[in-house]
Amino acid sequence: MNATITYPAAPNKNQTVLPRQIAFAAAFLLPVGKFLETPSILARYAGNDILLPALIRFLAESLLLLAVLYAATRSNQTLCERLENALGKGVLWIYIPFTAYYLLAGVLPLLDLEKFIYASFYDTAPTAFSFAAFFLFSAYFCTKGIKTLGRFSDLCLLLFLLPFIALIILSFSEADFTHLLPFFNTDFRQSAEAIRYATPHFSDVALLLPLLANCKFEKSETGKDAKKIFIGYAVGALFSLLLFAVFYAVYSSIAPNEHYAFAKIAQYFSALDVLGRIDLLLVYLLTVILFVYTCLPFQYATGLFAKTLGVTRRTWISAILNLALFFFTLYFNRYYNTIYTLISNRLAPVFWLFADILPLFLLLLPLKKTTKRKESSHA
Amino acid sequence: MPSEDILTYNFTTADGTACAIVYTDGVVNKQLLGDLVARPFSKERLPKESAEKLQSFLEKTLLFPELKSAENFQKAQTEILDGNSLLLVDGVPQGFIVGAKLLPNRAVVEPPTDVTVKGPREGFIEDIKTNMALIRKRLKTPHLRFETVRVGKQSNTAVSLCYLNGIVDEKVKNSIKKQLNGIQIDNVPDSSYISALLSPRKHSLFRTVGTTEKPDVFTAKLCEGRVGILVDGSPIALTVPYLLTEDLQSSEDYFISPFAATAFRFLRCIALFIAILLPGFYVAAQVYKIQLLPLGLTLTIASSIRELPLSPNLEMFVVLLLLEILKEASIRMPKYVGMSLSVVGALVLGETAVSAGFLSTPAIIVVALSGICLYTVPNFVETGSLLRWLFLLVAGSIGIFGIVLLSAFLLCYLISSDAFGAPILAPFSPLVPRDLRDTVVKYDIFSLAKRPKLFQSKNQTRLLPLGTKPEKTEADSKQK
Repeated sequence: MNATITYPAAPNKNQTVLPRQIAFAAAFLLPVGKFLETPSILARYAGNDILLPALIRFLAESLLLLAVLYAATRSNQTLCERLENALGKGVLWIYIPFTAYYLLAGVLPLLDLEKFIYASFYDTAPTAFSFAAFFLFSAYFCTKGIKTLGRFSDLCLLLFLLPFIALIILSFSEADFTHLLPFFNTDFRQSAEAIRYATPHFSDVALLLPLLANCKFEKSETGKDAKKIFIGYAVGALFSLLLFAVFYAVYSSIAPNEHYAFAKIAQYFSALDVLGRIDLLLVYLLTVILFVYTCLPFQYATGLFAKTLGVTRRTWISAILNLALFFFTLYFNRYYNTIYTLISNRLAPVFWLFADILPLFLLLLPLKKTTKRKESSHA
Repeated sequence: MPSEDILTYNFTTADGTACAIVYTDGVVNKQLLGDLVARPFSKERLPKESAEKLQSFLEKTLLFPELKSAENFQKAQTEILDGNSLLLVDGVPQGFIVGAKLLPNRAVVEPPTDVTVKGPREGFIEDIKTNMALIRKRLKTPHLRFETVRVGKQSNTAVSLCYLNGIVDEKVKNSIKKQLNGIQIDNVPDSSYISALLSPRKHSLFRTVGTTEKPDVFTAKLCEGRVGILVDGSPIALTVPYLLTEDLQSSEDYFISPFAATAFRFLRCIALFIAILLPGFYVAAQVYKIQLLPLGLTLTIASSIRELPLSPNLEMFVVLLLLEILKEASIRMPKYVGMSLSVVGALVLGETAVSAGFLSTPAIIVVALSGICLYTVPNFVETGSLLRWLFLLVAGSIGIFGIVLLSAFLLCYLISSDAFGAPILAPFSPLVPRDLRDTVVKYDIFSLAKRPKLFQSKNQTRLLPLGTKPEKTEADSKQK
């Protein structure tokens, strides 16, 4: 009964996500995914040059982002619309493999999250079913569209900045930044190994792609919007680099054995003996973002699969997917190492293909309609 | 109308013409009807030469400001049931509605749900006319509009849409009007019915329509570009669009310094989190993550729960249940019994339960603190209370993980909720930077010179710099 009314945060009623929200997602949502296992993996291979592989990977992702931004801002149509115009029904050949890619990309963060929850939220080992509740949230979140994700990104500004800054401040007292010196101490091949093994953690453009593909850039503001998003990504990269540096400065040579970096960097702050582990409260705040980050690929997969099937309601798809994920984690969490090696080592080329190479083809999309455009529903 | 309370008073004019007044007993000022209708009519002769002369005579004789003609039975019936009187004159083909209502009303007093130390103390009452007068008293502008519709097949309740023309977003206004006209219900005993019927999410835990009992708050919201709804028989006025941050605001915030207002809002915010999360957090920390508590506190808790027969989850459940029962009983009980209830509740139950080793002191402190904190945000008490139970349930089941997960779920639920064109978690999500000036932080009056951007008012300015000539609005031009 309620009439459809637009609100000023989204001046264009067809617009489901705003450039500002994409920038916030890049700055405050994506870095959280790198706060769990990424620092220890980088430290394992690159040692005190922990920042070097990360920096290289961020620079590569930045160039890719610039290319995608260029493709996205060339027309007043969204990338999704242009893709559908150009390929017609053939677009499903893009959507189906990308659905599979997002499902694959979501596996590691999911298993990491499960392990992190058991380690940081419980003193004693909980039952294997304790994590099941997460899939209720995930199922709910997967039914939501890109618009909800955009709005969540706005909220991340507060949810991220406050605990992140506080954690960094708390950890400074125990951080010895000389551990990062001398620079370029590790053999470059080791850094290359670090880049390779951390591939799944640095596929950021693939996670921004659905947001960028659904954003309609105003013609007069394209330059400004692209700049906003790029700055957002750069800020996010800086946050990640800062955390890696602080993590290594606190743990030094034992850093490879310390998992869930952001939950541990502040644990030696002296006042915590008197106050209790209040740093964990800050970690829990960041975990809210981590939950959404973990659901992100599954939400994209649900959206793309719904598009493939041509349905608008995603409830059943989401329910079935999350039930499958529940059984998957229940059974496979004991094979974490095997899965991790499989994904980051054997399947690394899949990530390179979908996250780094295929997005470049967006530059080839024609600007004008080639076939009769179908009504597109946003992911 | 075969009902006992519908009475007919018959009398004749000086020339013997039969007249009758039909009215509802108990809601009409009979003295006024006698003095201004029956008495002058009984002394006069009716000019029956022509219909025009008769009409002119009636208009001169009936000195009522609210005098209308009723051409058909349906209209006459509605007016009589609404408390007006119908004058019928033999030989005149129409009736006359005489506005001589005298409805039983209570006085305009300070609303018990929104008490202020500084600022206006008047509150709405159950009579819609009085409420409209209270609003008009504060907004003496031709742009203030009331549009009344009748809702309720049996109750025929007057529901008045209230807005400032030229400031309100027409789309929102028209949408609400359309919804009000589409309501088919028997009875509207209170504005909460309208609120529920208008709500875009029918089964939402969070409300989507704002409420207030104070005319000063109501008019301030109209000036922001919102639409107000008054319901006859209810002292609670509704305002839409509603934002969740409104619950953190108090009318007093606008009458004190912005620094103090900001401090109080932060305090309310913290209190709200304590109220909702503390019982659950206490249980989760005790059962699943003892590291969260300082060592000293852990030892104190350990010594007080050592011989308890109940688990921490069950103990908290019992104490919280006791609080809810005491609260419910103290609201419903007569005032005289209330005192003894406090004694029984606080002293006998609390003290005895601890000394008997049935409950622990920390649990009672936690629940008491949570209970008090919840009342710092009176409009959020119902929702907050339910949320507290939910958080306790998940904390008892899966610990802090449950609390964080439920928080994430609630956030996602709230950010995807829109009501009347405005996302209820705005201006935080979606972010509307200008509107953040009156949320948790309260800026000074000069910084709030523009109306909230979110409500899409055509006229955005509400305060011009001192010495500036007033600008003409579209509504002003139309008025001329």
